Amino acid sequence: MRTRLRKWSLLLGAAAVLALPLTSWAQLTQYDLETRIGMESHVGNITGHAKDAKGDYRRYCVVCHGTLGDGNGESFPWVDPKPRDFQLGIFKCRSTPTGTLPVDQDLFDTIARGMDRSNMPQWSTFTKQERADLVAWVKHFSPRWTGEKPGTPITIPPEPEVTPERIKAGRDVFARVQCWKCHGVQGMANGPSAATLTDDLGRTIQPFNFTDGSRPKCGDTDRDIYRIFMTGLDGTPMPSFADNIKPDEAWDLVFYLRTFMSQPSKEKAMAKQLALKPVDPNAPVAQQ
Amino acid sequence: MRNRQNWAVALSAIVLVCCGALLLSQKVNAAGEGKITGTVKLDGTAPHMKGIDMSKDPYCAKAHATDPAHLEQVVAGANGGLENVVLYISNWSGSAQASTAVPVFDQKNCVYTPHVLAMDAGQTFKVITSDQTTHNIHPLPNPMTGNIPWNQSQPPGAAPVEKSWKAAEVIPVQCNIHPWMHGWFVVVKGPYATTDDKGSYTIDNVPPGNYTVTAWQETYNTMTQKVTVAAGASATADFTFKAK
Amino acid sequence: MRVFKCSRRSQVFRSATSLLSLALFLVPVVLTCSQPANALPAFARKYGLRCSACHESWPMLNYFGQKFKDNGYQIMNDRDAPIWQNPGYWPVVFRITPIWHRVSTGKVEVDTYSSVGGVPTPTGSAVQRISSSGFDLSGLDFHTAGTLEKNISFYLLPSSDPTGAFHFEQVFVRFDNIARSPWLNFKLGRFELDNLLSEKRILTLTGNGGVYQTYHFIPQGDGNIFGQIGDNQLGIEYLGHSVNDRSRISASLVSSSDGNVNLSTGANSYSGFFAGSQAFDTGRLGVQRIGFYAMAGEAATYYLTTGGGIPIAGSGIGNKSYSREGFVGQFYFGQHLDLTVVTQHGSDNVWFGQGYGNAIATDGNGGTTCTAPIPNGCPPNNVPGTVLPVGAQAPSWNGVTFEGHYVYSPQLIFIGRYEAEKMSQQANNGPGSLDPVASNFGNISTYTIGFRYNPFMTSRAGLAWHNEYNWLHQDGTGPSLGLASANVNTGEILIGLDFDF
Repeated sequence: MRTRLRKWSLLLGAAAVLALPLTSWAQLTQYDLETRIGMESHVGNITGHAKDAKGDYRRYCVVCHGTLGDGNGESFPWVDPKPRDFQLGIFKCRSTPTGTLPVDQDLFDTIARGMDRSNMPQWSTFTKQERADLVAWVKHFSPRWTGEKPGTPITIPPEPEVTPERIKAGRDVFARVQCWKCHGVQGMANGPSAATLTDDLGRTIQPFNFTDGSRPKCGDTDRDIYRIFMTGLDGTPMPSFADNIKPDEAWDLVFYLRTFMSQPSKEKAMAKQLALKPVDPNAPVAQQ
Repeated sequence: MRNRQNWAVALSAIVLVCCGALLLSQKVNAAGEGKITGTVKLDGTAPHMKGIDMSKDPYCAKAHATDPAHLEQVVAGANGGLENVVLYISNWSGSAQASTAVPVFDQKNCVYTPHVLAMDAGQTFKVITSDQTTHNIHPLPNPMTGNIPWNQSQPPGAAPVEKSWKAAEVIPVQCNIHPWMHGWFVVVKGPYATTDDKGSYTIDNVPPGNYTVTAWQETYNTMTQKVTVAAGASATADFTFKAK
Repeated sequence: MRVFKCSRRSQVFRSATSLLSLALFLVPVVLTCSQPANALPAFARKYGLRCSACHESWPMLNYFGQKFKDNGYQIMNDRDAPIWQNPGYWPVVFRITPIWHRVSTGKVEVDTYSSVGGVPTPTGSAVQRISSSGFDLSGLDFHTAGTLEKNISFYLLPSSDPTGAFHFEQVFVRFDNIARSPWLNFKLGRFELDNLLSEKRILTLTGNGGVYQTYHFIPQGDGNIFGQIGDNQLGIEYLGHSVNDRSRISASLVSSSDGNVNLSTGANSYSGFFAGSQAFDTGRLGVQRIGFYAMAGEAATYYLTTGGGIPIAGSGIGNKSYSREGFVGQFYFGQHLDLTVVTQHGSDNVWFGQGYGNAIATDGNGGTTCTAPIPNGCPPNNVPGTVLPVGAQAPSWNGVTFEGHYVYSPQLIFIGRYEAEKMSQQANNGPGSLDPVASNFGNISTYTIGFRYNPFMTSRAGLAWHNEYNWLHQDGTGPSLGLASANVNTGEILIGLDFDF
């Protein structure tokens, strides 16, 4: 891990020769931030203003995310996963394709939803206005929001009725795109690659365990789960499957994933009736 | 663009005919353009490249049953020629070349082929998979450069992923599913070349002028050399990295 | 956090005028019987959050802190489970406050002497203001709290007076989110009632300003100590709330013992406390909350006696009723200014008004019982054959509390409070009363101002530089002794360091 990081920084040095505007990771100053204090967010008919979130950020957020929004607050050493570095503008929970900025609504939802399996609580106590202000504040940390437009949210077709056939089809998708490589054939986060995963900054990270009762990081509605694997969780090993899973198949996969979860569900009951076996990791892979 | 034209104006004092051609079309390999060739060698014994244990994925292990895979941080030929070294003009003041060529990055037998893929900023490249196992293609640029990280899966038979990078940067690429899979996108501005298995290279389409050629190697970092390219001629720049 | 070790029981003997001065002295003392506040750097350490995340200013909770508490001290994700705690995590917090304070009490009846032939000879008494000042210490609190398992948490608060004598201030176990529903939470033990304006989390520390008068007011001579909703009570509480805590309701069943253990008082009688509130999203102003609460119950007025009149602990019968009901509003005006308003109506049964109810004198924690019958010290007991005096009637009163805060930053808060308690029906002013009192007898009005400054704000510990001034006025309770007015004014200034770790 350490070696990789060292190499990484060496290479960044090399890259500096190539790229004039290159700044090293997360080295913005207070001055840079001041220039973007006029940042706004738009959620529904609410307009959030960064400057109005200053007090709330100091009271609630700065302890982890840091004064400069670089995720290097005083609690950084003690929390894992590490706090998000807002300067990079990379976010796990998006409705937009991988490699694009999220829309304001995504950040707005994340604040209230919190992040399960992390120290990020559910900040649902804010008013909508306060949350929109915080979204603008989060955006003002990254220069990306001034030059780049957020991605276009993916289209999620209406959720079809769950059927045993769909659950079986979902199992085939699970086998074909090999979700089990990390998540394990029973969704227990024990796939062959699970142990070696690292996030973009080289820190160890675990795949989601569907079976232990915790909630997926980016929401636990069916639509949320659909969105997670169709957009990927940027900054983590979880890729986007948008090019490889068709929208209809995606719903099948959502239904199949539900069968792993400890919470009772229609899907779970159906799977039990079907006596569905876990996928065979050694079976030949069906082509798309 | 403006600088490029300035260059042309300066050259016009010498070769007026060529000047006109340059201004009209920069894509055409004009008669006046030269090239830079050379060889990159390793001085000393190449470090031992460890073998890769692919047993976690039986497909990968099987693909390398007779030909074990090794790390590729330093790949030196019999005569000391270094493979996978990217050469480019580090003081390039012209535009990106906007080459229509589409470099291809293949995931084959659970390794990246080539191990290092050089490209011009803005140039489209393609990531394909020849494997019967799922990969995820996960480049890790520094987002502060303007290159934004992304992460896409490629299950067997998946369509190619076509992308480009905005800014010049050396970008590590990894597959999280197969942690040994590690490669590079070397994004540069201007003409470039990558050494072959003998360590030789040729940078084409270099207008006459004085240049600094940089050789990048993933373990030994960079070396530079000044060359002068005359119209239609070939300049030579050989490099020797010291083995560590 | 108490500054004085105090006996929480006023033993007021309405009939004996000479005891009025004692009563006067006891009123502030009774009213000061605030219990320690809850503030847990241990929680902050567990979650890596600063004090300011949960506390508007420690120890007062903000909305997020209230939600955390209502969820059973959980942020409602997997990090709540004890398995996530650092093995070195030990959820113990102590809190103590070294202070300097000056207390000035008006109109205390003092003995006078003169020298008769070189020998000090009592000459009667006079009325005088007594002022005392000096360095002092609060009691010490050990808060330990945490999650035993997901959705099962505990709170244990052994608390000492400044001499080191300990008692259990709060002890409870709570079960939250039963059947995955935030509407099903229970706790059992000794706990603070579900007061939106929590007295245990009060921001002030002085004798009279460190409690909410509205939560403790007892008419002069009244024997019902059980309606003090500011005190920790023994019982069981149901709590339900919406996921984001905008709506919340609670109902408690408690022993009418005012939190005294050992069933010395309060045996065989119960009270109920009900509270509900709803919060509203008002954009940039913040989240406004309004609610109401009610306490209604019964308490014994008659204790069986032995040995010629000594009440037997735990033998209370002859239950009489009482009630308290009020409204509460928490209004926010942006991130800096807020105002909390509590209004309360209280009413006691006529027997309580005559001093019956607390026949067993206790030390506040169930230790001492009355050992000698009246007139030697025990409160009146409603033994068979007791009749009410002519003109006795049920006392009732109204109280109001206004508390405003200016939050300059999470580290500096200014506090201002005004409270007024006004009798609406005196216990002895009924038709034909032989002994009526002034209609404002016993009324209280009090002002408290202060600020708390936290020189640093981390997720590890809390330290506040505390400055406070309180002024309390009570009508007619001073010694008469031929004075034009028996109103008593008491002032206290307090400067100290309030810290916890």
